[in-house]
Amino acid sequence: MVFNSYTFVLFFVVLLALHNMPFSWTAKKRNLLVASYIFYALWNPPFILLLWLSTVVDFYMAKLISVTEEKKRRRMWLAVSLVLNLGMLSYFKYGGFLLENFTMLMNSMGIAFQAAKPDIILPVGISFYTFVTLSYTIDVYQRKFKPESSFLDFALFVTYFPHLVAGPIVRPEDLIPQFKEPKKATGQQFSWGVFLLTLGLFLKVVIADGWLADTSDLIFGLPFPVNPLDAWSAVLAFSGQIFCDFSGYSTCAIGVSLCLGFKLPENFRYPYAAAGFSDFWRRWHITLSTWLRDYLYIPLGGNRSGRFRTYMNLMITMLLGGLWHGASWNFVIWGGLHGLFLCVERLLQRKSRSVPQVVNAGGIVLQATVIPVRPGKMALLLRVLLTFFLVNVTWVFFRSPDFGTAIKMLLCMFGVITQGPKMLTTPDMLKVAIVTVGLLVCHWQMRERTVHGLFEKMPWWLFGTLWGIMLILLALTQKSTGSFIYFQF
Amino acid sequence: MKKTNFQAACLAGTLVILFLIGWESYLRNRGFTLSYNDDESLWAHTRQQIYDATPAGPVIVGTSRAKFDIDLQTWEGITGQSPVQLGIVGTTPRPVLQDLADDPAFKGTVIVDVMEPLFFQPDGSFAETSAKKRLDYYPKWSLSQQAGFFINQPLENHLMFLDEERYSVNALIKRLPIASRPGVFVFPVFPMEFEYVQPNRQTSFTENFLKDTTAQREVRDVWTRMGLTSAKRGVSGDTLAHIIRSVAQAVGKIRARGGEVLLVRFPSSDAVWNAEQQAYPRALYWERLVKETGVAGIHFADYPELSRYKCPEWSHLTPADARAFTKDLARIIETKTKWSLQNAVSHHNP
Repeated sequence: MVFNSYTFVLFFVVLLALHNMPFSWTAKKRNLLVASYIFYALWNPPFILLLWLSTVVDFYMAKLISVTEEKKRRRMWLAVSLVLNLGMLSYFKYGGFLLENFTMLMNSMGIAFQAAKPDIILPVGISFYTFVTLSYTIDVYQRKFKPESSFLDFALFVTYFPHLVAGPIVRPEDLIPQFKEPKKATGQQFSWGVFLLTLGLFLKVVIADGWLADTSDLIFGLPFPVNPLDAWSAVLAFSGQIFCDFSGYSTCAIGVSLCLGFKLPENFRYPYAAAGFSDFWRRWHITLSTWLRDYLYIPLGGNRSGRFRTYMNLMITMLLGGLWHGASWNFVIWGGLHGLFLCVERLLQRKSRSVPQVVNAGGIVLQATVIPVRPGKMALLLRVLLTFFLVNVTWVFFRSPDFGTAIKMLLCMFGVITQGPKMLTTPDMLKVAIVTVGLLVCHWQMRERTVHGLFEKMPWWLFGTLWGIMLILLALTQKSTGSFIYFQF
Repeated sequence: MKKTNFQAACLAGTLVILFLIGWESYLRNRGFTLSYNDDESLWAHTRQQIYDATPAGPVIVGTSRAKFDIDLQTWEGITGQSPVQLGIVGTTPRPVLQDLADDPAFKGTVIVDVMEPLFFQPDGSFAETSAKKRLDYYPKWSLSQQAGFFINQPLENHLMFLDEERYSVNALIKRLPIASRPGVFVFPVFPMEFEYVQPNRQTSFTENFLKDTTAQREVRDVWTRMGLTSAKRGVSGDTLAHIIRSVAQAVGKIRARGGEVLLVRFPSSDAVWNAEQQAYPRALYWERLVKETGVAGIHFADYPELSRYKCPEWSHLTPADARAFTKDLARIIETKTKWSLQNAVSHHNP
């Protein structure tokens, strides 16, 4: 089920009614759990079994880990959880990709090998809930979190529908403690939750699907090169689309959850106002970048094992982070480019001692500058624009269906191929320009602020008018069934 | 609830209600006709109904011509069964025919609309990939989307502004008089009152369109800009042979399961008909298709009762003509194919 559907509206109204009835807290949690399974099953019912398997195995493995003192056995139980979760992820997400590359490798070695193309359906959200359950068993193994005694609370933590299929990727400490006591949204939480739901749907339905998707789909789907202006428009359209789509989903999830009385972690913080790539990853898909930091980068040694190892660790983290997004070399290249930019940034920062350093709380990298200028508003703006430019270059690999298309797009964008036809109409290009400028201005203005802070200070009539305009545009855009891009990851 | 949030929510709700009432009233006062979204969900819902198809209630695959020219209600009145309308505007019906052929549970009758400029579009063309997109959607039509479709139906029954093709923000933006860069192909925009779609996917001209000769001229201009009046010769050689072979194979599969296929060439008029005759000479395309597939074919030009109509915009029949055309077509089908159309056509058409 997607948030932008009539089915969800009906589902949510019924669930809210049940959640606010005088049932016991356990009954309400059961309602939420059943509702979450329905939310998932309405996409493809059989895949519920995978969710159950992951939930049951991780619940019991964590228990075994916690009661076992022997190091070897503790490792073994952890390995069972890792193998199961990563095995399912590998099979469903990377099975076809691995086979395809194995076949290519065999053929390149002169060994005639032909495998039947596997017909594997990717279960929606498997990358997200795998990371959620993995973080739980790893935290229990590292004794950061006590194993949950209530199966109901644990199952709800894994399956809770707002975050289930596309994040935010929650940690045990984010959600399980909230299930311990009865939760019901206050009036203020409820209204703010509904507003966030509106804002998220506005970003997704009106901006991403309504204004941008067709433009990027058209150009990236063409088998021939296009005019440079069209290529840039398509990349900028995708840049806006992916942000509005994904942050729209996260905003909906946070809003929906708040209406039920539960808080989910922030996932986006105006990433197109990032000054540098370390800053970008503190603002883009925050729950993924912190997950990768805590469960991959730091265990690899982080920045504690010398300069070379730090760069290696950064690259490994970003390459795997890229692969997490999809089984394609393009995602690996996308991750690799981000890793490369992070390394370059770090390298330049070491050389540019004059620039004050801002330590990343998570320790992935330190903030650095690519442009060696003194900090100030204008310098910051230039760094933001340069980062935005480079992020757009990386999006080309993220969006292109294959490597050839990505290279073709880059050649068009940078004027190497100039003879391609003009494909986009002026209204389409205007829409892209308006959204791009609007997003940049909005992100720049909101760089150090929050949506809540902004609307809290706003006069109620202005707040209400903006809210009303978003709802009207939602009603008039009507694209109600579009799936979210991140569902495929 | 915090007072400001509550006040803001009330204001937002009031604005939305007032705007939507005003917008809906405006559309109704302008005399527009209520139309359903002929989208993937409506198509998928219709696709689910193919398994009961018989000669009396066949599956129709094709272009907008099949959707305009066969009046489903008239057909149902004659045979007692409604056809399943799977025509998709602006596409070649070959992928849908292939999909029916590949579905082992389908054993019914198919009427194929042969509009040569679309039917003979090669694989990979826009007309072919557009049809495939619709087909790709069907197996992915989730339970959630199906539920959403059924919730949406009663809303579409009553609210005109939910017509995405005409009244959504994007549709309205497309109507803005903004000139595009030279060299860019701008997909022509049809007049707002051109057509309307019913829940069974029947498509018809609106009353206003039939009265408005300016709008009819606008649509004729659209056809001209889209190349429908161009006499440029269609595909030939291996491409044509491949197309015909693929149709023959699909027909063979359907027949092997006890199903049947019929080809129908629907009427067109004036400049469009002239161009179609030049670009797709009958002997090279229609006759060859009928011969090599071994399928019965009904060409409107062969029957005085089917060729007496004049399409107001050169390409589709008016609703009144479609009713008469459907009656004649049903009778001709029964005569030509010897299929039993249940309630006996002759009872209705002396």
